[in-house]
Amino acid sequence: MYDAGRKKKKTPGKRGATVSAESTSTLPGDYTSIRVPIPPASAFNKGRPAGCLLQAQLRHYHHAESARLPKKKRDGRRPEDIHTEAEAADYIAKITKLLNPQRRRKPKPSASA
Amino acid sequence: MPPGLDALKHIVVLMMENRSFDHMLGSLKAVNPLIDGVDRTLWNPDTQGNQVFAQPLAQFQGQLDPDPDHAFPAVDQQIFNGDQSNPRVASMQGFVENYYTQQQDVAHSQKIMYYFAQDQLPVLTSLALNFAVFNRWFSSIPGPTLCNRAFAHYGTSFGQVGMNVFYPQGKSIYERLQDAGHTAKLYYYDQQSSSLEVVNLLQHQPELFATYDQFIADCKSGTLSDYSFIEPNYSDHDNDDGAQLASDQHPDHNVQAGELFIASVYNAIQSNPALWASTALLVVYDEHGGIFDHVPPPGCVPDGYSAGPADTQLSYTFNFDRLGVRVPAILISPWIPKGTVVGTDRVFEHASIPNTVTNHFIGPYPAATMREKAAQTFLDLLSLPVMRTDSVVFSE
Repeated sequence: MYDAGRKKKKTPGKRGATVSAESTSTLPGDYTSIRVPIPPASAFNKGRPAGCLLQAQLRHYHHAESARLPKKKRDGRRPEDIHTEAEAADYIAKITKLLNPQRRRKPKPSASA
Repeated sequence: MPPGLDALKHIVVLMMENRSFDHMLGSLKAVNPLIDGVDRTLWNPDTQGNQVFAQPLAQFQGQLDPDPDHAFPAVDQQIFNGDQSNPRVASMQGFVENYYTQQQDVAHSQKIMYYFAQDQLPVLTSLALNFAVFNRWFSSIPGPTLCNRAFAHYGTSFGQVGMNVFYPQGKSIYERLQDAGHTAKLYYYDQQSSSLEVVNLLQHQPELFATYDQFIADCKSGTLSDYSFIEPNYSDHDNDDGAQLASDQHPDHNVQAGELFIASVYNAIQSNPALWASTALLVVYDEHGGIFDHVPPPGCVPDGYSAGPADTQLSYTFNFDRLGVRVPAILISPWIPKGTVVGTDRVFEHASIPNTVTNHFIGPYPAATMREKAAQTFLDLLSLPVMRTDSVVFSE
């Protein structure tokens, strides 16, 4: 569950949206620090129906899957079988990993920018 | 060459989703009258003939549900409101009536006129007021996401006005740069969100892509490519790090999550002094998402394609000779004078991105479309003789 309140831990939902003020100490000059509110936990809804953009993205991934992957590697799901954002993400991740199998390199824990 | 341009080694573009200029930045008109924003005097008629005035009542989520229609016919109504005269007048009076068609709810349709107050969007408005905000950056097509994003990648949508841009013949900005010995990267948020450029780039050139984690690492290590294009998270989902909130700001995703993401991109660049001094960051939205803006889109140089009635779903052929609805765009660099407002006499669109990047890193590119060649470039905004030492930083 997305929990916007657990700010100091490795918070779900925090990885890509983390902002840190550590940069104030790295440069000379005058800085204005601006606080960015975090969304409420209720904002997260992976069961939300996939919207028109995700539906188009699904069609394109299905197209690429059919064009590039041998049958034994294909996921088998059709875009019309996928209804929620979480289901879309799961399918897109599977096809992305097959199309772009590079290993994800994670930043060091101190990379909190 | 101005010292800022001399120092410029990296251009980064973050393209967000589906919000109009007035909706996101229009409130800044009250702060700086040079910003061509919105106020409570602007209105659209509703289906009962009432004047619906713009108001600073936008909410972060839950208000624009269902997603406002932004397919080609819907945008045509939003801009022209059914005008069939010749030439037609882009009145920008059809937003409320168009939104009404989705729920037949008069009160709900009026929400398409709502905009954010300045203090609701501290990241976007701070960046706009501290760096350069564009008064006239338009989406490239009066239509949806993918054809508009194609202009950022290729300088054309190859005749498409919808969501299918398959197998283009022209070279993307990434291929152009690589062919010329430069480096380029598309960063998508994670594997679950991935890229909207799968059919053309990801499946053929996966080496161009990396995740947002890698962008953060590249900024920290000073190994950013010459050109980087960042895609936000397009969905609420789980990954190995837990729940991930969509950060693209596409209705009805949470707008504050997008604010955090923009801040994250900015901080990643700004926190590396060498990178900060040598990078220009453009934050721009792909299209307006069906949400009200008051500036009529102007004409533009055609790119040689046309889309017939079967594609436009209207009775006429579109010759790619006018732009889509205005979107927020902000250019960020310590070489830009604080509070720059790019005037109404300069019109930009997404073809400005490949034209600018190509011109800066490669030089003239004869194979570009006429449309791209005619698109304004924006690096002249890095005009300061000495780099600024003031800035903003964002924290939670």
